[in-house]
Amino acid sequence: MKTTLLLLIPKIISIKNSITLKAFLKRLPFIFIGLIFWAIFFIGTYKVLDFIRGIFYFGEILSKKLLSMTIFTLSIFLVLSNIITALSSFYISKDISFLLSKPVRIKEILRLKTIETIFSSSWMVISFIPPFFIAYGINYGASFLFYLVLILTFIPFILVSGGVGITIAHLLTRIFPVKKTRLAILAIGLITFIFLYIFIRSQWSISPERPERFIHSLLSLKTDYPYLPGFWMTESVAPLLKRQPPNFFYPGLLLSFGAFILIVSGMVGNKLYNINLERIQPSVRYGAKATVEGFYPGRNGAVLWKDVKIFFRDAGQWSQLFIIGALILVYIYNFKTLPLKSIANIFPFIRELMALVNMVTAGLVLSAVSARFLYSSISLEGMSFWIIRTSPVNVKRILLSKFLFGFIPVTVILSTVVFITNMAIGSDNLLMFLSVCTMLILCISISGLGIGMGAVYPKFKYENIASISMSPGGMFFMLIAFAVILLTVSIEAWAFFQYKKAVLSNVPLNLIEKGQLFLAGTAIITLNFFTFYIPMKMGKKRLEEDLNI
Amino acid sequence: MIVLDSVSKSFNGKWAVKGLSLHVEKGEVFGLLGPNAAGKTTAIKMMTGLLRPTEGKILLNGYDIVKEPIQAKSILGYVPDKAFLYEKLKGREFLKFIASIHGIEKFTAFKRIDELIGIFGIKEIEDELIESYSQGMRQRLLFLSALIHNPQALLIDEPFVGLDPFGVMMIKDVIRRLSSGGVAVFLATHSLHIAEELCERVGLISKGSLISIKNKKEIVSEGGLQEFFLKITS
Repeated sequence: MKTTLLLLIPKIISIKNSITLKAFLKRLPFIFIGLIFWAIFFIGTYKVLDFIRGIFYFGEILSKKLLSMTIFTLSIFLVLSNIITALSSFYISKDISFLLSKPVRIKEILRLKTIETIFSSSWMVISFIPPFFIAYGINYGASFLFYLVLILTFIPFILVSGGVGITIAHLLTRIFPVKKTRLAILAIGLITFIFLYIFIRSQWSISPERPERFIHSLLSLKTDYPYLPGFWMTESVAPLLKRQPPNFFYPGLLLSFGAFILIVSGMVGNKLYNINLERIQPSVRYGAKATVEGFYPGRNGAVLWKDVKIFFRDAGQWSQLFIIGALILVYIYNFKTLPLKSIANIFPFIRELMALVNMVTAGLVLSAVSARFLYSSISLEGMSFWIIRTSPVNVKRILLSKFLFGFIPVTVILSTVVFITNMAIGSDNLLMFLSVCTMLILCISISGLGIGMGAVYPKFKYENIASISMSPGGMFFMLIAFAVILLTVSIEAWAFFQYKKAVLSNVPLNLIEKGQLFLAGTAIITLNFFTFYIPMKMGKKRLEEDLNI
Repeated sequence: MIVLDSVSKSFNGKWAVKGLSLHVEKGEVFGLLGPNAAGKTTAIKMMTGLLRPTEGKILLNGYDIVKEPIQAKSILGYVPDKAFLYEKLKGREFLKFIASIHGIEKFTAFKRIDELIGIFGIKEIEDELIESYSQGMRQRLLFLSALIHNPQALLIDEPFVGLDPFGVMMIKDVIRRLSSGGVAVFLATHSLHIAEELCERVGLISKGSLISIKNKKEIVSEGGLQEFFLKITS
């Protein structure tokens, strides 16, 4: 254990060295945004709780259900996050060869990597979940004991998720032979998808068209099996909300199981780590037959061809597509199950409203996907960027290649999603046309924004791909993308409802109104043009500057 | 072929290279020698266009690397000291990519790739992912990729990093053949015996400034490169 602590010192010092006043000031806007998120999350949870607890008879049951559902979702998210982080931390990270070359026992390396994995995969959850529990505490007027027990049980809860995730990561790496990491991540993606699909199909089978059915559906979600750590966590804190005496059994169970699963993950690691490491070493097969003939990309398509090849060979780059795919399917499924018919009786514009909400939501998916696949694409060149920069290719062409590489799939996927969801809600032709066109315009502008800003804030030295889009530049990109999407859809909504009003009242649009609609269209095109053009121009300028790699 | 005219580079007010002026003729092998952190790599990076000179200008075959980067880079081959490559490409794919971005026509590119693969001895691993290559094989691939478009000027930063004795001999032979074919070769190294063996002229750089340029005869008459190096840097 002493050695593990010793190995942790460089990491701690690195973190300490990175905390400077300059770095703090640079991150200040993001801290501010984080605080706003906390406030909104807190108020939202508090209001929802107020509403739920006010429901006659079911109130308290539903409130506890919401708590258990949140904790259950957290545990799933933490386990998945731990599996993915463990794969890179234990097997791919750059310090592995260094550690293995030192007189350090495998056991110590495993401990170090366990701490690293649990910390890296849990800090984000730890940083965004407090407002939820604080809202619960304040809404119930819970005592200090609630918060204390919450913190004390959350630690073993995280350890349990970490232990489970790490053990699965070792086993996956052992099961899948050559190119195992890639296959392992593929498996995780598929398991996630299948899990989500089966879970939703089996649990949400009742159409929630009326409030009592909705409540019934909610209550029928099985998130509180007594064998799951999430249940133990819920049972540890829930009684304290009502100032009931603390229950020591479930916190004890969490703690003992946390210790047990970490021992198990250590044992599995001890058994498999060396074998797994040997298996993942890249090896040369001498005498492999080369393909002398074959495709030749030519100057214009060279960078695009190279990017496509690398993308499909690098599991780190495409594995998240499975999760995104699963989420999109869930998203479409949700639209299919919307009780629009019954709501339309009360609110006739529900389809139009849902189409606009759909555009905003699809836009948000677009920004998230763009952050991962477009914003990151220049940084993904990594330290190899010197190859392109010292070649006779102008930066404009590089940016254009990167743009096409991301823009084409993103546009196909999102236009299809918008088309299918509009079909599901029964949009008319005009609404369908407007939605698909808007998505197309947004895909162009947000893709350009992603490539351009990715070039303005390149991060050529990175530990894992996700860290590129999570960097301050990546966050900044997301904010601008959100703003552009909201503005575009708002202008369009205004114009659309002006038009719809005129059609419904059978009064033709006058010249001024027509002019306003024209201006709205021009504003959307101008806004999106500059969203594309300015970052691309800035990115080009940045990449032509010094590149000390 | 290669002209550096009063070239300087500063980072945050500190001069990494100061007032560097030199030229390398066609067919000449020129060595820039200096201790660690003398400014050799910065000088080479400016010549490749990765860094922009704070002052002065660099001409490659008459093309200004800042004002006419595409033309200048078209005649340039560059072998860096660290072999960062596209790990997920196969050797042959990487070479095809390099040939493509240099605008070489398909038939010529394939012929040239086959020829160079034979010379550099990587035939057996050309269809393997680069991530599986040893350091020496990567270095060979780097050299090979720098020569695909028949450059007129070749910049090499620490040429023999990671190469086995056979690889060293082979690269030395390639450099000699290139120079006799009229290619201007610019070597940046801190290895005295390499400079002594390959270069017709050697420039000595220390703390960013060029201290002296000597030809082979002058170096020999002054007791060899080691003497020259120690005298100048001490």
